[in-house]
This record gives sequence, C-alpha cells and structure tokens, in this order.
Amino acid sequence: MHASPSISTMKPRTPADGGGVHKARWHLWLPGLLVLFALPFFSNSPFHMHLAVLVCLNIIFVNGLSLLSRTGQLSFCHAAFMGMGAYASVMATTHWHMPFLLSAVLGMAVAAAIAFLLGAVILRLQGVYFVLVTFCFGELFRLFLLEGGTYTGGANGIANIPPASIFGFAFDTKTSFYVLAAVCAFASIVLLIALFRTPQGTALDAVGDNQELAEASGIGIQRTQMFAFVLGSAMAGFAGALLAHYLGFVSPESFNQHISVAAIVMLVIGGRASVLGPILGALIMTPLPELFRSAIETQNILYGITLILVLKFLPGGLVGISGKLRRKGTKA
Amino acid sequence: MDFTFLIGQALTNGLIIGLLYLLMAIGFTLVFGVMRVVNFAHGEFYMLGAFVAYVCVTQLKLPFLAAVFATFAATLVVGWLIEVLVLKGFRGNELNGMISTIGLGMILQNGALLVFGPDPQSMPPVAQGMVSLGPIMLPMSRLYVVVFSIVVLALLYLFLMHSKGGRALRAVVQDPEIASAQGIRSNFMYPLGFGIGVALAAVAGALMAPVFSVSPSIGSTPLLKAFIVVILGGLGSIPGAALASLLLGVVESAANTFLSSSMSDMLLFGFVILMLIFRPSGLLGKSGR
Repeated sequence: MHASPSISTMKPRTPADGGGVHKARWHLWLPGLLVLFALPFFSNSPFHMHLAVLVCLNIIFVNGLSLLSRTGQLSFCHAAFMGMGAYASVMATTHWHMPFLLSAVLGMAVAAAIAFLLGAVILRLQGVYFVLVTFCFGELFRLFLLEGGTYTGGANGIANIPPASIFGFAFDTKTSFYVLAAVCAFASIVLLIALFRTPQGTALDAVGDNQELAEASGIGIQRTQMFAFVLGSAMAGFAGALLAHYLGFVSPESFNQHISVAAIVMLVIGGRASVLGPILGALIMTPLPELFRSAIETQNILYGITLILVLKFLPGGLVGISGKLRRKGTKA
Repeated sequence: MDFTFLIGQALTNGLIIGLLYLLMAIGFTLVFGVMRVVNFAHGEFYMLGAFVAYVCVTQLKLPFLAAVFATFAATLVVGWLIEVLVLKGFRGNELNGMISTIGLGMILQNGALLVFGPDPQSMPPVAQGMVSLGPIMLPMSRLYVVVFSIVVLALLYLFLMHSKGGRALRAVVQDPEIASAQGIRSNFMYPLGFGIGVALAAVAGALMAPVFSVSPSIGSTPLLKAFIVVILGGLGSIPGAALASLLLGVVESAANTFLSSSMSDMLLFGFVILMLIFRPSGLLGKSGR
C-alpha cells in the first residue's frame, strides 16, 4: 500500500458532477456537426478548404488519442503512429505502386501492429512512467526516420507523393479531398459513438475511472488499454496516410514531439471524457494557429494560458461548459 | 599514446558535460520527488537562466559570479510564484500538473521569442586560454563551468543534508503524509522545492551561456538529457541522478568520438526504453516499484 494510491491519480478526474450529467447526447450535437461539415462548400477560398481538411484529419488523429486517454493513459508518441501510417502508405504507393486505398489500410495496419508490439511491453507501466516511455519512443522514431537513408529520405523526407485516388477517381483538388477527409472524419466519429455504446467501450471508461474496481469486475486492465492503444494508433496511422497524400510531402519533423503535444493540447482543451471533446478540440485549435500566422508567439502564449486555465477551471474541457451552465441554470 | 589520449580527452569532456546534466537533472528529479510532477518546462528554465545571465553581464555589466547569483535568486522567485499561482491547483493530480507545465513551457519560450527574438546571441567568454593536464587540453572557460557546478552542487548537498529546510524537503520526497504529520508545511515546501529545482536548471543555463550561444530554443536538448538521466537514475532519486548524469556524459562523449551523433542518440533512447520497461526504479533503485 506504500504511497501508490495517492500517486496513481491517473484518471482525468471527471469533476464532481459525474460523467453522465454534462455529457451532451450524441443525437443533440451530431446534426449540428453535419451542418459544420457542409459549411466549407459555401466558401470560395481555397484557404478555408485547406483548414477544413486539416480539421477533419485532426479529428481522426485526436479521436485516436482520446481512446487511450479514456483508459487513463496519456501517450506522448501519438504523432509517431501518424508518421508510421504516413511513411508506410507513401512507400507502398511510390515504391510498390499500390492503390491508395490499399496503402492507407497498410499504413493503418503497420501502425496497429507496432502499437500492439510496443503496447505488449510498455502498457504494464502506468502514469508518468508510461508518459516518459512514450516520449522516448516518439523521439526514437523521429531519429529512426532521420537515419532511414534512401527509404525514408532522411531529413529531407519524401516529396512528390501522388494524390489519393480511389477506383480511378483522383482526389487532387482541395474540395474533392475535403469530401474524402470529411467522410473519414465522420466515420471515425460514428465509430467512437458506436464503440462507447458497447460493453467494450464502457470497459475503457471503467478502467480509466477506477482501475481496482474495473479489475474486480472482471475487466482486464492491460487488455482493455491494449485495445484502446491499438485502435487509437490505427486511427492515427490512417490520418497520417491521408495527410501524406493530401500534402504530397512527409518529413521526420511532420511527426515530432510538437505534433504529439498539439494532439494532447487539443484533447485536453476540448475534453477528455466524451466523444464530443476531441472533436471540439480539433475544431477550435486547428484553425487558430493558421489564422494567426503573423503573430505566432502571441498565439502560442495564448495557447499556453488557455491550456492552464482550462485545466484549472474546466478540467473536463470545453465540453464541460454546457454542464456548468446548465447546473447554474437549475440552481437559479 | 594516441588511443589513451582520445579516451582521456573524451572522459574529461564527458565529465564536464555530465556535471551540467547533473545540474539539470537534480532540479528535475527534485521537482518530481517533491511534487510528483514531470516538469516539461524544465528546459525553458534553463533557457531563462541563460538569458538572465546574458542580460546581467551584457546590459547591467555585472561580473559573471554576480550574474549567476542573480539568476539563481530571480528564477527561485519566479519558480515560487509559478508554483503558487499555477501548479498549486494540481497537487495530487500528476497528469494535469504535467500538462500544465507544457502550457508553462509554451508561455516561457514564446515570451522569450517576443522579447529577445529568434536569433542566437553570444555572450563574452568568462575566461580565455587553455589548461593542460598532461596531454589533455582543457579550455579555461569550461574549467570555470566545472568549478561553478561543483560549488553549486556542494551548496545544494549542504542544504539538503544539513539544514532544517533541506531535511524537511527530503522528508516530503520520501513520504508526504508522514512529513505533514511531523508538522512540515507543504504550502511552504512545494513552492520551495519547485523554486530550487527550476533555479538549478537556470544556473545550468547561466553557466553554459558563455560557452554556447543563447537563444529561445536552447532549452529542448537539456530537457531531453534531463529526462534520460532521471529515468536512468530513477525518478525522484538524487544519488541515481548523480550517477546517471556522469555516466551519460562520459558514454555520450565516448560514443560521439566513435559513432555518428544521431546513431548514438538512437542507441541511448533504445536503452532508456528498455530501462523503463525492466527497471523503472532506475539504476540504484530497488527492483520493482
């Protein structure tokens, strides 16, 4: 019993109002989200379209991270899995001339397989030890890409990646790629909603909320976290495959620690305990730095302040606001 | 002759770098030991220390010794304030505490970018010339770093081992509950521990400022090294950090003589991951947790 209960405060600490109260039901926000997905079509600016694509890719990316986070573990190498998906699918399309869809599936499979192997050894670590080991793995992966020679292109990365195409239709314009990205993002959201309505999804939350209780109820902690890690990493890998074929360029620095940290920031600001949280985080935090390119320092300072304020006053993330307001309303 | 010379030179360089890592890592491990927070902003305090020393020497025309003192005092106060204003709310919640230090790091680094700009600044060297120890050559400026770090470490040792505050701090590291039952006030110890921890990082930055250049982005490498040292030595263990940092310095400088630097980094990270998996309590820790 020595010191371990007070130390292993891994859970995202859903505030006293509990999980169910402030969690907006999916049928309330999903239609609104669909309207948002349609918005970019009414803008003629390619820049807006570009932002919309990035938002969609980030939704898939952060959704993946949220799976593991709900089991109580925080990964600092999420970008590495995105990188694995990206590099694997790019190699498949450029070296072996695989069709895009197959290469994206391959990227996903590579990320999932490596997550499985890695998870088998590192998921026994909890809390900060897991954070540190994933941080080191992320750095190791970046160095591996740098040293990869002709296969990974080293520091220069790989350029001139052909655009995505499915059954002969090339998604080579921003608008057409947006359709693809939006469909994929939407699919990932539906996947998460469906998952959290099954016992397997509930098990994720159970492990995150109270490990001892979950284990006593017959839920395997490592097995559950492994499921979340593999599925989450596969989603990151898929987002990476999409990103690589959208930008046409990958380099080791596209998947460094800053990207992993950015995913964590989006997740924390949006909210860790619901499906809507990561979506909200990606929606809000993706366009901000792109819009404020000229004042990047001020922007980052505001980021840092927002992060600390959200942690302090809204530990459940921005999704918690509605619950807070509602409780105030019922009190009055 | 040639080979022993190479080894000797690599050893001395390694020990110098190792001392620097030690300053970084002791602060890092102290913060973790006291507060259970992995301080992702630790490297930014190194950067801050380098800038404080830079401003003290070039703008205020202070002597280097005074600049180092001023750096320590200033960052101690800043660290104290940050603990009280920001981290206080996350006591007992190591994950949120850690994420908030990411925010802190962003604020500090970009604040420095706003104030000083991205270009590296250079500071006048503290000393010139070389000292030779047998066949091994040592630049005076590096010898200064060695002397200063040893003095700082000795002072820290005296403080931790032979003063009331230091004893209390160690008690909090070992067992916060027993410590508070003995009347140690955590409201005083947490800010003190964080303040001293980041001030040590700042001193490391101040000492290295004349040797390397000073820019807002210099904090990330020392942070990474502190990570490695602290994992190898065991989180929260000061003797472990001491052993690991000297070892890391020597191994690194030897490896850089024979291998490419990113290759040796890769081996290092691989080793660190294995260490975390099989011996998370570090080189000196008891096996198991």
